[in-house]
Amino acid sequence: MTGSAVKLEDIKKSYRSGFSRERKAAVEGLSLEVRSGEIFGLLGPNGAGKTTTLKILLGIIFPDDGQGTVLGRPLGDRTSYSRLGFLPEQPYFYGFLTAENGLDLYGKFFGLNKDERASRSARLLDMVGLRRGSHLTLDKYSKGMLQRFGIAQALINDPELVIMDEPSSGLDPVGQKEIRDILVRLKEDGKTIFLSSHQLSEVENVCDSVSIVNRGKSVRNGNLSDLLAVEGMTRVVLRGALAAKDSLSSLVRKIEESDGATVLEVNSSDVYRVLDVARELELELVSIEPSRRTLEDLFMEAIKEQGN
Amino acid sequence: MRNTGTLALNVVKDTARRKLFYVVFLFGLAVMALSTLLPTFELGMRSQFLKDISLSLTSLFGVVLAVVLSVNQVPGEIESRTIYNILSKPVSRSQYLLGKYLGVLADLAIILLIMGLEILVLVAARAHTASPVIFQGVFTIFLECAIIAAFCLFLSTFATAPVNVFATILFYLLCHVKTDFLHRTLVEGTNGFTKVLAWPAYYLLPNLENYNISQQVGYSKGVSAGYLLRVSGYAILFVVLFLFLGYLVFRRKDI
Repeated sequence: MTGSAVKLEDIKKSYRSGFSRERKAAVEGLSLEVRSGEIFGLLGPNGAGKTTTLKILLGIIFPDDGQGTVLGRPLGDRTSYSRLGFLPEQPYFYGFLTAENGLDLYGKFFGLNKDERASRSARLLDMVGLRRGSHLTLDKYSKGMLQRFGIAQALINDPELVIMDEPSSGLDPVGQKEIRDILVRLKEDGKTIFLSSHQLSEVENVCDSVSIVNRGKSVRNGNLSDLLAVEGMTRVVLRGALAAKDSLSSLVRKIEESDGATVLEVNSSDVYRVLDVARELELELVSIEPSRRTLEDLFMEAIKEQGN
Repeated sequence: MRNTGTLALNVVKDTARRKLFYVVFLFGLAVMALSTLLPTFELGMRSQFLKDISLSLTSLFGVVLAVVLSVNQVPGEIESRTIYNILSKPVSRSQYLLGKYLGVLADLAIILLIMGLEILVLVAARAHTASPVIFQGVFTIFLECAIIAAFCLFLSTFATAPVNVFATILFYLLCHVKTDFLHRTLVEGTNGFTKVLAWPAYYLLPNLENYNISQQVGYSKGVSAGYLLRVSGYAILFVVLFLFLGYLVFRRKDI
């Protein structure tokens, strides 16, 4: 699938602050594109405009300017809503409902019949590990359980596009891993996932593309592998190369040990020369790949560039 | 309509959870206490007096409940953020507002019906007479509450709860004095400024005195079916107007 699931062009949104007539910009000319079938991550520090962007996508607030589409329909067009699921940050639900009743309620809004609602509820509660607590009212749930319920209700209509605001919020490491597995499984099922997250490792592990926003603007946008790649640099991993450090030092920009192997960061133009030395010294070649920085490095670099 | 019904049912469930339906027991106690304080009339007089005073109390309970039930429907959901999970589903803002309103209306219908039954039983027990005409009075109180609830819901789309309660009480009072006080100000008043103020209040506000038929129910055989039909139409007109105004504010509101 290659079409756009979400497309925003030059979106602007500002708010009045208190009684002042002055308006404070929350989003300033944000553009992004999420392709169908991918996992997209929206990243940014607090107050960067992530939640405002999600609210605009969902028609909860309205942009001052700009345009966009969600599943091929213009922003705010509710006909696309039957094909999307939403998990709000720190989900709030009717506390007097049980998980089963809650899923039944949300299922009704999608026109699902009673049998469909019952079977989907059972399947989703199993998937998020809430089967045993399904008879409890939601006001008795822990934060993690509410988060799991939130994911279940976001999937009740078997959506094409799932929008998630901090999906791992409040979950322990095991829960976070389970969420990552669910995200990957949803992608395998052909769903598009738009997630906003502070958890850089989660994003790095699951996302195909990202947009880093700061002060309402997109400062990095694109395929995650491309963004993390360091242009002109290659990572050569050899075993036992630390002993031959001196022979390689003139060709290597950075050398470090990792998991019993030696990781060399070299100019791409020097790769063959490094391999010649490695062959001469009979070092075992583990891998050659384009150099990558971490998402954290990219994130900090992008934010610093804006002078934050 | 399906979404509207689902939302309305949810409002009723929430009211049940908040134990607001228990107010009917409080009402029953209040009516019983009042009936014991009444002077000893002959049976016919007692029946008339009981009906009159019980309906006045029903009206008071009904109006207070209409405000209590409506004032936080929308702001409460915005504050608790439960609204995000509704409006991100295929639920339009008009369906949302209408569903909330119909839920409040269902609450009022349940509560007022039980109150009517309580009065019926009390009058039968204290005055040894069956008075189904009571339900005419309960019905018009329901219509009055429907107007109050619609007005309150409209205000709740933009006003804070305290402002809303204050404005709704003012609205209620103005709508009750309009036939008398406002009419006199308009027709007989000499001050041009007060006339300018009285004009919109007189012509644009509903006349809630139309719904006060406790005298007719208490002391005669009630009102005609034609009258009930006319005041029903009048109530529907204002309910539609207030809900429409509420929708105009709410449809583009940033939440």
